[in-house]
Amino acid sequence: MTVTRLRLASVMPLLVLAGLCVAISIAEPRFLSIDNLIRIAAASAAPLVLALGATFVILMGSIDLSVEGSMAFASAILAACVANANGAGLDLGLAALPLVIAAAALFGALIGVIHTYLRVPSFMASLGMGFVGLGIATIMLGGERVGIVDESIRALALTRILNLPISIYVATFMLALAWVIQNHTRIGRRMLALGGAEQLVVASGVNVRHVRILVFAIAGAFFGVGAVLASARLGASSALVGSGQLFTAISAVVVGGTALTGGSGGVLATLLGVLIVMVLNNGMVILGLPTFVQQGVLGIMIIIAVLLNQPIRGLAVAK
Amino acid sequence: MFIRNFMERSMIDRRRFLIGSALGAGTVAVSAGIWPARAAGTYLLASSIRSLSNAFHAAWNKGAEAFASSVGEGYSALVTEGNSEKGIADIKALLAKAGDKAILGVDPNDSPDARPIVEAVSAAKSHVVTVWNKPSDLHPWDFGDNYVAHFSFNGIPAGEQTAKSLFDTFGGEGGIVALGGIASNTPAIERKAGLMKAIEATGGKVKLLDFQDADWDSTKATNIVGAWITRFGSDIKGIWAANDSMAVGALEALRAEGLAGKVLVTGIDGTKDAVQAIRNKEMAATVDWDPIWIGGIALSLGYQAATGKFVPSKEPQEHREFYGTGVMITQSDVEDYWKTHVEATPAIDWNDLWGRVTGQIKYS
Repeated sequence: MTVTRLRLASVMPLLVLAGLCVAISIAEPRFLSIDNLIRIAAASAAPLVLALGATFVILMGSIDLSVEGSMAFASAILAACVANANGAGLDLGLAALPLVIAAAALFGALIGVIHTYLRVPSFMASLGMGFVGLGIATIMLGGERVGIVDESIRALALTRILNLPISIYVATFMLALAWVIQNHTRIGRRMLALGGAEQLVVASGVNVRHVRILVFAIAGAFFGVGAVLASARLGASSALVGSGQLFTAISAVVVGGTALTGGSGGVLATLLGVLIVMVLNNGMVILGLPTFVQQGVLGIMIIIAVLLNQPIRGLAVAK
Repeated sequence: MFIRNFMERSMIDRRRFLIGSALGAGTVAVSAGIWPARAAGTYLLASSIRSLSNAFHAAWNKGAEAFASSVGEGYSALVTEGNSEKGIADIKALLAKAGDKAILGVDPNDSPDARPIVEAVSAAKSHVVTVWNKPSDLHPWDFGDNYVAHFSFNGIPAGEQTAKSLFDTFGGEGGIVALGGIASNTPAIERKAGLMKAIEATGGKVKLLDFQDADWDSTKATNIVGAWITRFGSDIKGIWAANDSMAVGALEALRAEGLAGKVLVTGIDGTKDAVQAIRNKEMAATVDWDPIWIGGIALSLGYQAATGKFVPSKEPQEHREFYGTGVMITQSDVEDYWKTHVEATPAIDWNDLWGRVTGQIKYS
C-alpha cells in the first residue's frame, strides 16, 4: 500500500504536467504552438535556475529564503561590471559573469557560515541575509533601475540559436550541472544524506558544517546565474529584479515533489515543478481566466502537491 | 574603486537631482531602515515611505532631504517595507523622541493606517501631511491644525490620457490589452477607470482584448504579455499599463518577439527608463507625478504650518485635501522634457504650497 502510494506520488508531477498541457490545449490549441512553447521555456529559464539552487538547500533539510535578496545583490554587481545606462563601472562584457557568480557564491557561503557557526536557523539566516542583499543593491543602484546596455548580456535573452533564446541553453546547462552535482559528486550525496538522516552523517565523521556552507555557496551561485538571466530579460538591474521569485522557486520545488523536510526529491522533480507553475501561469492567461482565479488555482495546486508528498514525508519521519 | 564610482554615478544619475555629499552619510544607514537625524535644528523632519529600492520613493526621499537641508533641519527616512505595523510603530517611536517638534510626510502603507498615524501625531501636537492613501471619511479639518493636509493624484485623467495617446498610435481602431496594478490599490482602480472611459469614448472602435493584474511588477508583466502574444497574435495593436515598471516589462516581452517599436506601450509614473523608451519610439506616453516635489512639498506644508507661516484651519478645504498635477509626456514633447527635466534640474520653489493644486479630492 505504502509502496504504491509512494510510486504514485513520485510520478504525480509528471501526470499533472501532462494533464495540464492536454487540458489547456483542448481549450485553446494555440497553447501547443512552437512559438508558445518557446515562450514558456524562455519564461522558465530564470525560475528554473533559481529553483535548482533552492532544491539543493531544501534537499539537505534547510531552507534558503534569500532568493530575492541574493538576486538583487548579484544583479547590482552585474550592472557595475558591464556597460550600463549610468555610464560608470567596468565594461567587462561576458567576463563579468564569473565575477558575478563568484560574488553570489560568496554571499551564499556567508549565509552558510552564519547558519552553522553562529547557530542561526537557516530560514532566519537566509531571510536576514536576503534583506542585507536587498540593502546593498539599493545602495549600489541608488534605488533606480539601471539599464544594462551591454550587447553580450542582452543577447542571453534576445539572440536566438535554432530559434531558441540563449537563456534556454544556459538553463539546460545549469540543469545538467545540477543533476551531476546531485548524483555524481560527494557533496551531492552528503547533501541528500544530511536531509535524510543527519545523525548518520555526523557519525560517519563528515564535517557537517562544511557540507552545509558549501551547499549554500552552490545555491548562491545558482541564484547568481538566475539573476543574470532575469536581468538580461528585463534589460535592467534593479533591487526588485527578484520580486516574486522566492514564492515561485519554493512552490516549484514543492510542486515538483521535493519534500520540505529534506532527503527526498531532486533536480529533475524541480524541473517538473517549474514547468507546472509556468505552464499554469501561461495557460491561465491564454484561457483568459481573471487574475483572482489564477491566484486561487496556483494556491490550490501547491496545497495539493504538498498533500501528495505526504506519504514520502511520513516515511522520512518514521525512519 | 570602480564599485564606489558606480554607486556615485547611480546616485547622481538620478533624474533631476544631485546630492553629492549625502552618499557617505547615507550608505551605512539605509540598510538599517532608518536614517539618523543629521544637523539637528529645532524640528525633526521625516518621511514614512515604502522603501528606498523603488525609483518613485527614492526620488521622494531626495526631495524631502532637499527641503530639510534648505531650512537647515534634521531629517530621517522611515521605511515601512510594505508592513503597516512597522510603519505605525516607527512613527510612534519618532514622536516619542521629537515630541511636538516632529514634521511628517507620510505615504500610508494602506488606507486604514492613516487614522492611527494622524491620531498619534495630533496627540503629540506635531504636524503631518499624508499622500496617496487615507480612508475617505478621515479629513484634515477634523483634526484642527495638526493634520495639515492630504494630497493625491487623480488616476482617472492619467489613465484616460495615456490610453488616448495609445489609440492614436494605431489610428484609433483595433484591439488592445491592458496591465493593471494591485487590484485593491486606489491608483490601480482609478487608472483602470480612466482607461475604461477612454475605450468607451471610442464607441466600440477600440476593443479591450484582455485585462490582467500584474501587481505593478515587471517580470509578471513580461510573462503575461508573452502569453497574450500567443493568444491574440497580431490582433494586439497597443499595450496599456497602469505604471511604468509594467510598461517596461511589457516592452521587453515585445522586444524578445521582435515587436518592440511596432506595438507601442504606455505607462504612468514618469520613471527614467520609460522616458528613455518614449525617446526610442517604443513607448507612446507616460505621466510624471514628480516624486521629488511630493517628498519636499509634503514636509514644506507641515513645516510652514508648524512655524506659523499659515494656519491650516483658516485655509479652504481645497488647500487641505487636494489633487496635485501630473504632466503627460509623449513622443512629441519628450525631447523638451529630457532637456529640462533629465539633463537639467528644474528648481522647485518650496514656498509655493498651492501652485500645483488641481481641485479638491472627490470621494464617490
